[in-house]
Amino acid sequence: MLKKTDPADAFRVERLTVDFGAGDGGPLQDFSLAIRQGEITCLLGPSGCGKTTLLKALGGFVLGRDTGGVLFESRYLNGPTPEVVMIFQENNLFPWLTVKGNVAFGLKFKQGAKTQHAEAVDAMLRTVGLAEAAGRYPHQLSGGMRQRTAIARALVSDPHVLLLDEPFSALDVSLRRRMQTLMLDLWEKTGKTMVMVTHNIEEAVQVGHRVLVLGDRPARVLIDADTRSDVYKNRYSPEFLALQQRIEAVIY
Amino acid sequence: MKRYLVTTGTLFALVAVAHLLRTIAESNFRIGLGSQAATVTQSLMATFWRVFVGMGIAFVAAILTGALLSLSRLATWSLSPILQLLAPIAPIAWIPTAIVVFGINDVTAIFIVFMGVYFILTLATLNEIRRIPAEFHTVAGNLGATPAQRWLWVTLPAILPGVFVLLRTNFIAAWMAVLVAEMVGLRDGLGAIIMMGRNLFNNELVMFGMVVIGLTGFIVDRLLLLIGQRLLWWRV
Repeated sequence: MLKKTDPADAFRVERLTVDFGAGDGGPLQDFSLAIRQGEITCLLGPSGCGKTTLLKALGGFVLGRDTGGVLFESRYLNGPTPEVVMIFQENNLFPWLTVKGNVAFGLKFKQGAKTQHAEAVDAMLRTVGLAEAAGRYPHQLSGGMRQRTAIARALVSDPHVLLLDEPFSALDVSLRRRMQTLMLDLWEKTGKTMVMVTHNIEEAVQVGHRVLVLGDRPARVLIDADTRSDVYKNRYSPEFLALQQRIEAVIY
Repeated sequence: MKRYLVTTGTLFALVAVAHLLRTIAESNFRIGLGSQAATVTQSLMATFWRVFVGMGIAFVAAILTGALLSLSRLATWSLSPILQLLAPIAPIAWIPTAIVVFGINDVTAIFIVFMGVYFILTLATLNEIRRIPAEFHTVAGNLGATPAQRWLWVTLPAILPGVFVLLRTNFIAAWMAVLVAEMVGLRDGLGAIIMMGRNLFNNELVMFGMVVIGLTGFIVDRLLLLIGQRLLWWRV
């Protein structure tokens, strides 16, 4: 068992049961898991295994039954909090706002000087490489730029955790790889805890510091792999391929 | 050859229209008898004023009603049938009642325009609110927006373009309603020109009134289209 007050844990999921009121074996049954602070954790698994439900539970968007719950930084989550920001697969951006307007959206609801906010937005746009596109509207952007805008908006309010729900699944391969590099880049700059759901094994192993493979209903952890080592950042290394095979054998 | 003919035809038609407009603008003649006589511009402005005020009030009221109804599922469920019942009643049908209640004045005309578009726009607002992607609210709430802030910064901008499109489609209905009101009740405005022509057996005046109504209606429709494209261009 994990210690209850381990400071290295961002989240502790304790006996979480989410069944959407059906009571007949929902996606999560009595599920426990710890997610460490400052790491990129990737969740893999067959569709419908509960990985997205788990991600929503980490964000407080889905609450489980009273018998368990999610501890975020040692307090129980009872709803969404600005400290844990979720990025969706689509419909992230408001079409009536420019890139800059979208990135600045969350700062409207925060304390602080306007000039300070504007500076933070400009700096964040430079970080994700969107300084030139600041005045464009979402429909004028490519899929990659749209997701970069969403990531910038999440990061500009300086949350503790970033949750990403298949953020790059709508992108083509080359764009996807560029976004993966950007994510590692952003992690190096900010050191944020990130949890990403994906169905791309390569992406999970390459981007993640830890890869969790979930099994089908009820969800349980089948593989918990530490992928911090550099050998997993090269997609042709024997270790990478071996892990990929191991995961494939479990999922398919 | 055919195209040439069509082009020439259009050109002649445009010259004719331009000529007519210039003549009206230059003379700005008065139509009517004695103290009731009004210039074309005055009639035009009277009608415009009624249509725009009526549509403006209906637009704001419909969005507020729709938003209030959407707060409670029970309210939506119980009040939507009433709206659906009232929506198909032609605005013209309200004219006698309105004249009794408000008298023969601008309020009556504005009320009729309002009745012509309000219910449709309220239903449109409810529909647009339902269409907003769930992620929009989740994102805004996640970034720290309170329910009131979410309404102002997400719901309102998300529904405005769709409701405005319906406002434009229903402009024709409002336009017709106010003209009929002017014909049967009120004694000024563009509709009154037609009635004046009828009463004086002056067919040319009737035709003239029809042309002015057609042209101004067309221009307003284009104006609304332009506003929609320039100011409320996004699609959710």
